[in-house]
Amino acid sequence: MQKITLSKSTIIAIILLSLGVFSCSKENININNLNETIFVRHKNADMPAYIRGNASEKVFLITLHGGPGDIGLSFSGKAFNRIENQYGVVYFDQRGSGNSQGHYSEDNVSIDLMAEDVLALVKVIKHKFGSDSRFFLLGHSWGGTLGTATLLKDQSDFKGWIGLDGAYSPARLYNQYIETFTSTANMQIALGNSVDFWESVLELVSQVDPVINFDDDRKLNIKAFKAEKTLHEDGFIDFDDDGTEGISTFFTYNLLTRAWNTNQIGTIIDNQGLFQTLDFTSQLPEITIPSLFISGQYDMIVPTASAQTAFEFIGSTSKELLIFDRSGHAPLFSEPDRFATEVLQFMGEHK
Amino acid sequence: MKKYSAIFLFIYAINFHVQSQTNDHSFLNKTEFKIGYYGNLLWDNGLNLGAEYLWKEKKNIKDKKKGPKTIVHQFLFNGSLGYSTNFANQTDNGLHTYYGLIWRRTNPKRRQLHVELNPLGYYRSFLPETFEVKGDDVSKVKFPGRSYYAPSIAVGIGRLRKEKRRSGWYLNFNCAFRTPYNAGVLANFSIQYGHRFNFKKKK
Repeated sequence: MQKITLSKSTIIAIILLSLGVFSCSKENININNLNETIFVRHKNADMPAYIRGNASEKVFLITLHGGPGDIGLSFSGKAFNRIENQYGVVYFDQRGSGNSQGHYSEDNVSIDLMAEDVLALVKVIKHKFGSDSRFFLLGHSWGGTLGTATLLKDQSDFKGWIGLDGAYSPARLYNQYIETFTSTANMQIALGNSVDFWESVLELVSQVDPVINFDDDRKLNIKAFKAEKTLHEDGFIDFDDDGTEGISTFFTYNLLTRAWNTNQIGTIIDNQGLFQTLDFTSQLPEITIPSLFISGQYDMIVPTASAQTAFEFIGSTSKELLIFDRSGHAPLFSEPDRFATEVLQFMGEHK
Repeated sequence: MKKYSAIFLFIYAINFHVQSQTNDHSFLNKTEFKIGYYGNLLWDNGLNLGAEYLWKEKKNIKDKKKGPKTIVHQFLFNGSLGYSTNFANQTDNGLHTYYGLIWRRTNPKRRQLHVELNPLGYYRSFLPETFEVKGDDVSKVKFPGRSYYAPSIAVGIGRLRKEKRRSGWYLNFNCAFRTPYNAGVLANFSIQYGHRFNFKKKK
């Protein structure tokens, strides 16, 4: 019979390797320079929250990414590095997005449930860092929809709301596309910029049904991304980014997993017709916490009109609308210094 | 249940031991072990251990001008255990194990082509600190993670080293499906590169 023997050094190497692999947990928390990843388990989903920055004042900015189906760390970059120097920032992969996982039925997914997930995140942060923690909520694009839904459910834990190119009432985007595309195309044609492209935009606008519908909405949305790219190439937008990437996030998210999840959660939300039916405008007066709306002047993906309507209807007595004139859908990347300054000023005033 | 499992393992061990001592068709003589890299290079990287037990073998011998040409077709039972992690985050750690069948063709130049079907697969994710929220209650989860049924398929190539302890290398392209994952299924693609070795009796 063959004897199977392993040398002592091999056994020690295997044990050390196993310990190395299975003991990757950190217990020491440096509140001034957080770099924690925790998961929130809520209603059959496990969702990662990447907590970064300086939480010495226990002030946290919770960020809601776009999509649906983008990634929590899509905000990372120069602007958020500055914000992290002063406050704790929580980057959150929403249900079905990024590195989130779980077992749940498609029928159970709703914006209502996703808003409850955000409130569950707040409870977890309080549990971990103390009930005296203070929160600001920031939502970008689809995160603007989700943030609005969250605040309408319960705004009591938040010191302020920052809407960044948010789709606060998605059903209104359809008409906003038509109006913005028409005015932008006419202006660009008059300036002689990318005339063929802008004529194709006008042609699309003339072809779509005046009544909102899924297919035409999708066509307009796809055209919006191309329009922003064209505006960047023609020198109107400083940064060629639709705000869905983040800086240095490539190795954090498995591209295939991320794409798969994006497609899945995006399809679920699309099939529910949220972008054709959801309109929070009449409920916005119920939101009374201090609010800051930031929008890129050349945002074609969620036109500035969305922020203007939200600003007009929100119930906050302390509210501000800022239009970034060198930006499209991602002012945090095209004008990072101004963006960070405005956010820090708002948080400083209301914390 | 534990009692029956212990008896089964005991009998199996005796059988294994006796077979190994008595004939060329023993478990060890029909089994190749393998160890190798498992992951997708960019995000998830880990280690995979496994074994392949020869079930059926057929040799096709063709007469050629240069001499007889032997092509070997094999069916092997396959079992594997691996762990992978993403070193850039703490969200993608997991253990997987799967069992199935391999069809392998080895040409006269000892180059191999194989297809794996692993209908029995299990993936267990390991999460960092996790808090569960139920209503207003927040509690820390012990041993956080989730279990998924994870069947897989793979195609691969390799090279056989005849009558050597280290009996060859393999390169597999693997696709595993974790289900139920979120509201559906997650396809996970990986590469497996490693070496096979054995404890066969030298003839």
